[in-house]
Amino acid sequence: MKTVEMYIHHPSSMFHSSVVFILALFVSVASASSPVPGKRQTRPVALVGGTVHTVAAGDIERGTVLFENGVITAVGASVTVPADAERIDVTGRHVYPGLINASSAAGLQEIEAVRATVDVAETGRINPNVRAEVAVNPESDVIPTIRANGVALSHVMPSGALIAGCSAVMMMDGWTNGEMTLKAPTGMVVTWPSMTVSRSPYARQSEEEQRAAVERSLAELRNAFDDARAYLAAKKNAPSAHRTDVRWEAMAPLFDRTMPLIVEADELQQVQAAVQFARAQNVRLIIHGGRDAWKAAPLLRENGVAVIVGAAHALPSRRWSDYDEPFVTARRLADAGILIALAGDGNGAMIERNLGFQAATSSAFGLTREQTLRAVTLDAARVLGVADRVGSIETGKDATLIVTDGDPLEIRSAVTMMFLQGKTVELESRHTRLWKKYIEKYRRQAVGQ
Amino acid sequence: MVRLLAVAALCCSLAAAQSLRPAEGIRSNTPSVHALTGLTIVPSPGKRVEKGTIVIRDGVIIAAGTGVTVPADARVRDCRGLTAYAGLIDLASEYGMPKPKSGTPPEPKRGAASWNPNVAADRSAADEFLPDRESAEKYRAQGFTTVAALPSSGIFKGRSALVNLGEGTANAQVVRKELFQHVALQGAPADGYPGSLMGRIALVRQTFSDAQWYAAAMKRYAARPDQRRPEEDRTLAALDAAAAGRQTVVFETGDELNALRAAAVAKEFGLTAVLRGSGYEYRRPEALKSAALPVIVPVNFPEPPSLGTPEEIFNAGYEELRHWDFAPENPSRLRAAGITVALTAAQLKDISKFRSMVALSVEAGLDPADALAALTTVPASLAGMEKQLGTIEAGKNANLVLTDGDLFSNAGIVRETWVDGLRYEVKSPPPDIRGTWSFTLRTGARTDTGRLVITGGRDEPAVQFRSGALTVKATGVALSTRTFSFSLQGDSLGHRGALRFSGPADSLSVKGLAAVPGGADADWRMERFEPMLPKKDSASAAAPLRAALTLLAPDGAFGRTSLPPQQDLFIRGATVWTSGPQGVLEDADVLIVKGKIAKVGKGLSPTAGAVVVDGKGKHVTPGLIDAHSHTAVTGGVNEGGQAVTAEVRIGDVLNSDDINIYRQLAGGLTVANVLHGSANAIGGQNAVIKLRWGMLPEQLKFEGAPPGIKFALGENPKQSNWFDAANPRYPATRMGVEQLIRDEFTAAREYDAAVKAKPSADRVPVRRDLELEAVAEILRGERLVHSHCYRQDEILMLLRVSDDFGFTIGTLQHALEAYKVADEVAKRKVGASLFSDWWAYKAEVMDAIPYAGQLLHDAGVLVSYNSDSNEMARRMNLEAAKAVRYGGVSETDALAFVTINPARQLRIDRRVGSLEPGKDGDVVVWSGHPLSTFSVCEQTYIEGRRFFDRAEDLRMRADIAAAKAELVQKALRAPKRGSGASTPMPQRSSVYSCHEEHGADTAAEQEGR
Repeated sequence: MKTVEMYIHHPSSMFHSSVVFILALFVSVASASSPVPGKRQTRPVALVGGTVHTVAAGDIERGTVLFENGVITAVGASVTVPADAERIDVTGRHVYPGLINASSAAGLQEIEAVRATVDVAETGRINPNVRAEVAVNPESDVIPTIRANGVALSHVMPSGALIAGCSAVMMMDGWTNGEMTLKAPTGMVVTWPSMTVSRSPYARQSEEEQRAAVERSLAELRNAFDDARAYLAAKKNAPSAHRTDVRWEAMAPLFDRTMPLIVEADELQQVQAAVQFARAQNVRLIIHGGRDAWKAAPLLRENGVAVIVGAAHALPSRRWSDYDEPFVTARRLADAGILIALAGDGNGAMIERNLGFQAATSSAFGLTREQTLRAVTLDAARVLGVADRVGSIETGKDATLIVTDGDPLEIRSAVTMMFLQGKTVELESRHTRLWKKYIEKYRRQAVGQ
Repeated sequence: MVRLLAVAALCCSLAAAQSLRPAEGIRSNTPSVHALTGLTIVPSPGKRVEKGTIVIRDGVIIAAGTGVTVPADARVRDCRGLTAYAGLIDLASEYGMPKPKSGTPPEPKRGAASWNPNVAADRSAADEFLPDRESAEKYRAQGFTTVAALPSSGIFKGRSALVNLGEGTANAQVVRKELFQHVALQGAPADGYPGSLMGRIALVRQTFSDAQWYAAAMKRYAARPDQRRPEEDRTLAALDAAAAGRQTVVFETGDELNALRAAAVAKEFGLTAVLRGSGYEYRRPEALKSAALPVIVPVNFPEPPSLGTPEEIFNAGYEELRHWDFAPENPSRLRAAGITVALTAAQLKDISKFRSMVALSVEAGLDPADALAALTTVPASLAGMEKQLGTIEAGKNANLVLTDGDLFSNAGIVRETWVDGLRYEVKSPPPDIRGTWSFTLRTGARTDTGRLVITGGRDEPAVQFRSGALTVKATGVALSTRTFSFSLQGDSLGHRGALRFSGPADSLSVKGLAAVPGGADADWRMERFEPMLPKKDSASAAAPLRAALTLLAPDGAFGRTSLPPQQDLFIRGATVWTSGPQGVLEDADVLIVKGKIAKVGKGLSPTAGAVVVDGKGKHVTPGLIDAHSHTAVTGGVNEGGQAVTAEVRIGDVLNSDDINIYRQLAGGLTVANVLHGSANAIGGQNAVIKLRWGMLPEQLKFEGAPPGIKFALGENPKQSNWFDAANPRYPATRMGVEQLIRDEFTAAREYDAAVKAKPSADRVPVRRDLELEAVAEILRGERLVHSHCYRQDEILMLLRVSDDFGFTIGTLQHALEAYKVADEVAKRKVGASLFSDWWAYKAEVMDAIPYAGQLLHDAGVLVSYNSDSNEMARRMNLEAAKAVRYGGVSETDALAFVTINPARQLRIDRRVGSLEPGKDGDVVVWSGHPLSTFSVCEQTYIEGRRFFDRAEDLRMRADIAAAKAELVQKALRAPKRGSGASTPMPQRSSVYSCHEEHGADTAAEQEGR
């Protein structure tokens, strides 16, 4: 009881968390610290007998997945399991790649309404230098609830500012955020200014003021890019003549196209303008949100732009929109030949565990089952530039896997195991521990203790 | 000239009217007897007299018509070619009133006035009115002679005054003081109480109730002063006439649903009421007709939304386009419904557009006689001035408007108005000089000739000089009522420099002087030989004036021309989840007859004429029920102005046009418990609704559902996340929340006792208190408590308070820590209505767990899952599935979390919640297992009416796309209307839809989740 109260008052304190952990050793069902991270894989593991959903190369009935030192070494129907391997019988179960949430605030936000626990948006307008992985709190109580539903990887993005900062693909377990980081920086997040003008009498600014504000923001963005290029060129040609500017340093990977620009854009005009901008700047582009992006599908396809599709469980954008508009955004883009990843965002990190269920809604409204699964695994990995490591069950890739008793996109099925680079990850969470604690309360009542 | 006339006339009026003001200097005794002869007279709407005469003596018409003898002492004016109408009357003006100071908080009222600064019923426009010459001139130029001047701020704004638009003192112009009482149901939320529309309505109801009580209380106290003296209140005293039905109350409505709300208040208190409309009334003509109240409507017919680019067309609001198209028909559609209509120039940005806007409504179908009546006889009669104003008859005030041409055509020109027998000339527009003119310039002996071609706008003409092949564009063109001038560069004419011309403005012939290089004397002349041919207006010819589309209910996307019919329904061979004793039936049939479930089982037969749905492979469930919703609410979901607002009612502010109703039907939802927000410990009264899309707000209400009320505990009522330290509101702690609730119940118990005691007839009666009345209903078991709560301590607190006061808690809402005290909750048979898996959005929900449903369910608590969200309410079946995932609740029990359990919590399970014979035919057909993420809702029925059908929905989408394209085409072809008004839909459609285009605040913030 006491540990729970302490937790409430000091949610992010390492000190209290560790106290709680020590207590937890004694009070097995009453602890409130996030679980102990998984151990590094020390011997080969073979998942045997389940249906293996490789994503890359179809399904294998009664297949085997073998992994060693965190890496998949064999996949197939007739894999020879080494003698020293740990054999895990998953007959009747399913093996999938760990799900990837392509838009996340995991670890950056603990309690939405408590500012002290929220690190998603830095102040100021031009923050290319801030990095998401730096502030991901490994002790977050939200993270275990996310992975318990099969989400093994989250693309954590800063937000808010015009240039919000660098995102990172994070594994959903680890002692430190360094250990959790799969790829950082992943992309540079830009919040595109709204390009539509409100004519509502309740609008705070006149139409002219609104247009001027949009132009100012766009100029600010262009100037930042121009300044960064000028800085990088000057620094290259006369390194000692210029002092370091950490903002412009952070933008260098954009210009050699090793890192994409990720633009938050829902409106048609935002999407069009972002593509135009990326072309002019010769940078790679990913659209995040993409509510109206289907309307600009040819433009996106011609320019090779991928889309991280915003949450399906959202309201239609306009009063006259089709009721299923957000349910079919992914399908419209996929049908147009655009590479998509799905986002499980909306209402902060607490909802991210529903990634698979949101994806299923896209499927219920027309995205094929195969496309849907890919959009939360391999295609998401391709969009985020981590497909060489994760997203499918293939030899040579990370052993980042889940075992389920059914389709992981169905609410009624359960995730029974998760491996992150071969580590067996705990699926307990603050929620299961509180659950068990109160089962114990009522058990004792029933037996009069 | 104009001014002189006016001043002369003014002086004579002072003499004639026996001014109270002492004469300054020499008295003027110019006679005020006039005969206007040779006129066409429109004595009243629909009548017409040619070659008539009007005789005016001392401000009063003494004769009008043909065969009138002109008195010997009359000044005769030959008015041939002119038409006389009775002067127009506008009942909604701010003419001559002080502008409200913006930005400065109102000073506290002095004296014994209403406690609420928004209740200013005692204000009287006549006390503040000052004639405004410039504004009067603009009104008269549109034909107005009389307006009602309104106080400009507040909810009870005070009393208007009917004033004439003549010049002179306020004393001379006030026709009738204390004309109407004005009550604004629309408007920006005020600081403090009320901050919401439902708060406004509650305040209006309480105030009318207080005024009625006050009159009785004062009377009894006067008769028997040996008792406690009632508080003095000049505001309530001033409201007496209105509250007693002797003075008309004008309700300012803002939209057509608010008009219905105003009508309900008027009916409740027996008021004599007039509605001040918004231009949206055409959307619900039948409902307004049954309200049977006159409506004053504006003519601010909007411009279409921006359609400059394909992107703008893509974004252009379908509802805005429809409103653009329908708006000019608002007056005619109301008249067609038999509603009494008056027109007003209010809400027009530029009053000079008034007549052209009325002309537009006439072109759009308004009978010209109705248009005239709406500006003369109707307002005269509403003002109780039909004996003095509104027609041209002997004995009436000499308020006239004289036109050249028809008053309501764009070609007609208002020449003069007469106010109280005084003539006011209208500043006329410059003559139309456009056309082709011959041109001659003489400079000494030299003569240049050519042509002037004048084109462009009437007020801003473009002038070109042409001679042979030579064309010179004129510069510095200026045209006023009196003068026309321009310059030509003279070099190409051989004049080495600029030539400047000016002359009197005239549409036929101009002679004037010219300034030429070298300074020689010069004169010029031009004669018109051809007016500008009126361009064949291809645009307006191509765009039909009448609305292109059929009105829908509600108008806009996914509205219907008529309600879905109630038909017998037979669903054959489906998997039927009854949520009742029959459990889940494979390959079973459901028969619905006359809106009720007749049978559920295997091998049934349809009734004759029943619609048969093939249920093979489908699943059928009861309509889903959401025990915590804020859908279909307008004007604010929280009345946060006070810590206790039991008097406000969600039922007053239901918005039947909320598109979320339709969207939720598309997810299988049929019933919602629409709750007040959680900003205060005791919030407002709820409304249980059925999602009968297309029907009116009152028709959404679930008949016979027990009334309820929202309570809230924890962070929200103690204002944890928005506490204003400078302006603290009690309570600020959970300790204070408990005491506040106990204090309120204690007060309500005492109030109830006082009401029941029935004091003798000579004692001051108990004042009706809407707040305590609602809380007393809780104590009497007539109202269920639905309490927002999170932590176990506060849950236990409320349970103990309910034990102590003996009332029923219907549901603990959210109740995310109820699982920690499940035994206590179960013991009292209190329902728990939870989020399935929400947590971590604030400190008090850090112990919320998705297993709570299972723990409570297993402890014997009646559990439901709710949405509290327009978005989540679209997929409550998936929320139910989470009870299976987290804790392993059985599938049938999990489905019950969104069917029979919430029905039982709301005490409506006799009618809904399960598929059992005798219950309402509220059913959903799913493409597959109802708890599967891959299933889709295909059809939703309420009482046998098919309110959602996916196949129909797909057809409607195509219709919407086609209709929008048609409207865009029409708008692109249509000429500008010139009203300057944009086309926002009423505020109601934007407030709680956090993802819609206007919504700035998130729903969570609005609802104070």
